[in-house]
Amino acid sequence: MPQHLKRLIGVFVIFILFFLVMRQVLRPKSFGELGHFRADAIYENTLRPMHYAVADSCTKCHKDIRSDKDLGFHAKLKCEVCHGPALKHATFANKFKNKQLPDSLVLYKPGERKDCAVCHQRNAARIKITFDTINTTMIHQVDIMKHHPVDPKTNAALKCIDCHNPHQP
Amino acid sequence: MKEDTAKLSRRNFLKEGTILATGVAAAAALPAYDGLLFAAEAPGAKGKWYGIGIDINKCIGCGKCANACKEENNVPKDPFYFRSWVEQYTIKKDGEILVESPNGGINGFKQSVPDADIYKSFFVPKMCNHCAKSPCTQVCPVGATFETDEGIVLVDPNYCIGCRYCVQACPYGCRYIHPEKGTVDKCTLCFHRLKQGYQPACFEICPTEARVFGDLNDPGSKLNYFLKNHNCMVIKPHLNTGSKLNYNALTPEVR
Repeated sequence: MPQHLKRLIGVFVIFILFFLVMRQVLRPKSFGELGHFRADAIYENTLRPMHYAVADSCTKCHKDIRSDKDLGFHAKLKCEVCHGPALKHATFANKFKNKQLPDSLVLYKPGERKDCAVCHQRNAARIKITFDTINTTMIHQVDIMKHHPVDPKTNAALKCIDCHNPHQP
Repeated sequence: MKEDTAKLSRRNFLKEGTILATGVAAAAALPAYDGLLFAAEAPGAKGKWYGIGIDINKCIGCGKCANACKEENNVPKDPFYFRSWVEQYTIKKDGEILVESPNGGINGFKQSVPDADIYKSFFVPKMCNHCAKSPCTQVCPVGATFETDEGIVLVDPNYCIGCRYCVQACPYGCRYIHPEKGTVDKCTLCFHRLKQGYQPACFEICPTEARVFGDLNDPGSKLNYFLKNHNCMVIKPHLNTGSKLNYNALTPEVR
């Protein structure tokens, strides 16, 4: 074998050894266990905190509102649809039964016209009356800005919730 | 001339003919591949195999799902980072198709075309399709995104190098680069909630139950009931991504 080839083989062997050592050092621990990714990443993805509680957690305390709501059109709505994520609120209330809730945990109380408009603003795409009963979704729709904007007696601006009880509309 | 005759000899003809015939016979013996049915069946058919169903007829475009997703997963509030969003499609009488999604639908929709000009209009909620043969995981150069055994496409933010290749590859536009982390971010089907036994936030919150979530391997699941009773279709079936997001009443205008 010529001398220069022998040297070249030596260089290659060193290079491959260097590659193997670096691969062991740099490769993350669980990489390749289940495929071309870190298997630990699956577990790490479960570690994020939850924000939305489940439906039952509200009605443990707010029983009066539940009995109200069950009678109206909003019976199927979950509380968090309007009031926002409530897990921290519910956990605090369960943990410290008699303490006052800190302001940061008090939930959003929607009452403005724009809050109701999200679902009840009249829109051509929202009219859903099909002959298939499974698909029928009927939502009361009004032009939210023209629907009784002011009180006819006092001329004061009216909110939706001044006339409609949001829990039992 | 001599070489040509040698090639066409009887021996060579028979030899090559036999090889060709055997190849054709072997290929014919393989099971036919059905691209559309793939999405409804797990490769191993063991354990859970999550899928999604969305009923366009039931969606009222309140944008609560888009909002819930942002709250649950700490998605930046800017109007161009979304894991889940709602689009309003308006097809005018002159044939023009209008697609609107102001802030993903979180603040509600305003009808921009008068009733008289509308042929039809509907809302389409969009999110990651959790494809069984996802194009985004195939292009990742470092292995930072992958499909779990349950059929959920996840991202490993600690390993992602932020090369944006998967953002380009996703045909549904469901990925974005997180402005603070610099890595890619996408719908995880609320993996942290699933593992604790709860539904993903957008399914939990939908007021009209337009969204159905379930296990495709379980014949009794809500999702299988939904798929049986509705004529469902996935978006861009020609791309053969194995999408598991099935829409009822999907029209060809939706892309």
